[in-house]
Amino acid sequence: MKRTKIAALLMVPLLALSLAACSAPKDSNTGSMSGDSDIAALLATQSKNAEEAAELHQKLMQKENEILSDDSKLWEKVFLAANKDTPMIEDGKNYGDFLLDTIEGAKDQFSAEEMKTLKAGAQQVKEIENKLAALEKDFPGCGSSPSSGESVDASSAGMPNSAGTATSANKFPSFQGKDLDGNEVTSDKLFSESKVTVVNFWFTTCKPCVGELSDLEALNKELAGKGGQVVGVNSFTLDGDATAISEAKDILAKKGVTYKNIWFASSSEAGKFTSKLFSYPTTYVVDKNGNIVGDPIVGAITSPEQQKTLSKLIDQAIANSAG
Amino acid sequence: MDRRRNPASQFLSRFRGWIQAAATLLTNIHLPNFFKGTIYQGPGKAVCVPGLNCYSCPAATGACPIGSFQAIVGSSKFSFSYYVTGLLILIGVLLGRFVCGFLCPFGWLQELLHKIPGKKLSTKKLKPLRYLKYIVLLLTVILLPALLVNDVGMGDPYFCKYLCPQGVLEGAIPLAIVDSGIRSALGTLFTWKLAILIAVVVLSVLFYRPFCKWVCPLGAFYALMNKVSLLGIKVDQHRCISCGACAKTCKMDVKVTESPNHPECIRCGKCIRVCPTDAIGFNYGLGLPEKQPKQQCKGSQ
Repeated sequence: MKRTKIAALLMVPLLALSLAACSAPKDSNTGSMSGDSDIAALLATQSKNAEEAAELHQKLMQKENEILSDDSKLWEKVFLAANKDTPMIEDGKNYGDFLLDTIEGAKDQFSAEEMKTLKAGAQQVKEIENKLAALEKDFPGCGSSPSSGESVDASSAGMPNSAGTATSANKFPSFQGKDLDGNEVTSDKLFSESKVTVVNFWFTTCKPCVGELSDLEALNKELAGKGGQVVGVNSFTLDGDATAISEAKDILAKKGVTYKNIWFASSSEAGKFTSKLFSYPTTYVVDKNGNIVGDPIVGAITSPEQQKTLSKLIDQAIANSAG
Repeated sequence: MDRRRNPASQFLSRFRGWIQAAATLLTNIHLPNFFKGTIYQGPGKAVCVPGLNCYSCPAATGACPIGSFQAIVGSSKFSFSYYVTGLLILIGVLLGRFVCGFLCPFGWLQELLHKIPGKKLSTKKLKPLRYLKYIVLLLTVILLPALLVNDVGMGDPYFCKYLCPQGVLEGAIPLAIVDSGIRSALGTLFTWKLAILIAVVVLSVLFYRPFCKWVCPLGAFYALMNKVSLLGIKVDQHRCISCGACAKTCKMDVKVTESPNHPECIRCGKCIRVCPTDAIGFNYGLGLPEKQPKQQCKGSQ
């Protein structure tokens, strides 16, 4: 009797701990702004050889990304206010200057406090960019940063590619597969042909997945006008399972879906990626460079809130693709 | 106390708490997944665990029988869940509601909650509510998923979707804590089921196993199997002194001497331990031929 009571008492804190522990690995980049002096030190560093330069280059890029991700909400407002018609990387203008100009142009949207944060951040970005330019001059190719003409990774160009926190490029895993009619599809070609690709993961016996197919079909029609597309991935059809494909096609036909549905090998990058998904449906938005934009949308896109999130991600992807 | 006639039965019921803990752990063996925010999706998930344990619990070893039943009966591909039903009947015949008392993680949770000190209420007057679980089983697990289907013949898992507090506790809450995508997908349905979970938690402190008694469709299924289960409780009428201690101690409100294999009996064995003459014990197997007629004789006298 006593023993069971003791066991119960022991179990309660254990359960509580296990729950509390779950919430721990959230804020991994706290304290990154310890960096004002850090940045100054990095800026003062002189590199002797290409290796050191490369390392410094990388550190500076990281600092710059940290500045932008620390107040990502504020910066996002700045990016939204940015004039998307002017190319910001190619013309050789300092990215910090570009940020300062943009902040100045949108100053009525921010409080005095926010302006201070933004301007200080932009100033630091400017200094870092100057240093980076100097490094590039002394040691050409020390940064793997994009030279003009190449496809630009959204995040290394200083543009947060996520509505939330992501600071590093988040490539959609590559694949070589086929559509359900047997035509070859490769990830590179698929994404580069469209300004935005909405990738919807579903499976045949998932009711909410099937429920949103007609909405996705409508979205595909809408996106066609903007140079975008919807692509479906039915997890049952991976590796080209013939029965699964015919069942999927049956449902797609019943739901009047005309957009492309594809499968790939489960051993491919994308296949492994799919096997880790456990919430269905899940929808990813991918830009022209093959980068995933923002966080995936979990659950059907039919609800108004989810639709709003989705259209935001789509706009962001189109902006990324244009940049 | 030192030497009892039915050592195996005594042992089982005395160490029930530990068996429950071990069963809960075995049912949820993939503990690191709590931190990763993922679900184990390997071959183990093709098999059902005996108790009510959500498939979507990050740590879950297997699938929930009630969830699987609904998923299959509601799918457009199959009209009835033969495999799951077969498995449930097998477990029912082998163990019956022993599963509730010894193996079900949600049953154990309610018992632990009931250990929280405070006012305890009797459920003796609430006996009619027992029949609610059969309605839950029939409606939300069998009929609605099979019959209420969309244009392509798919039904919803109504019990999982609208009622199951175990799903919220094991699936929705831990996954939402680590996964922002799932967090953003939480809506009114989550709020509703969270309310059910909170209600069950509060009621469990006041009553003994309210969910098992009144709502659980899995318990309802095993309850139906209790009479034909190989595992039963046997009362030795020669030793019984009709003191009534067993019925008094029974928290499932069963009159042990009258109906030892009552549908509500979860085989917890409290009566076994309280019996002053050791007349009650677990009995396994078909062997009731010599006992049964005697019992009936006694009863009719």
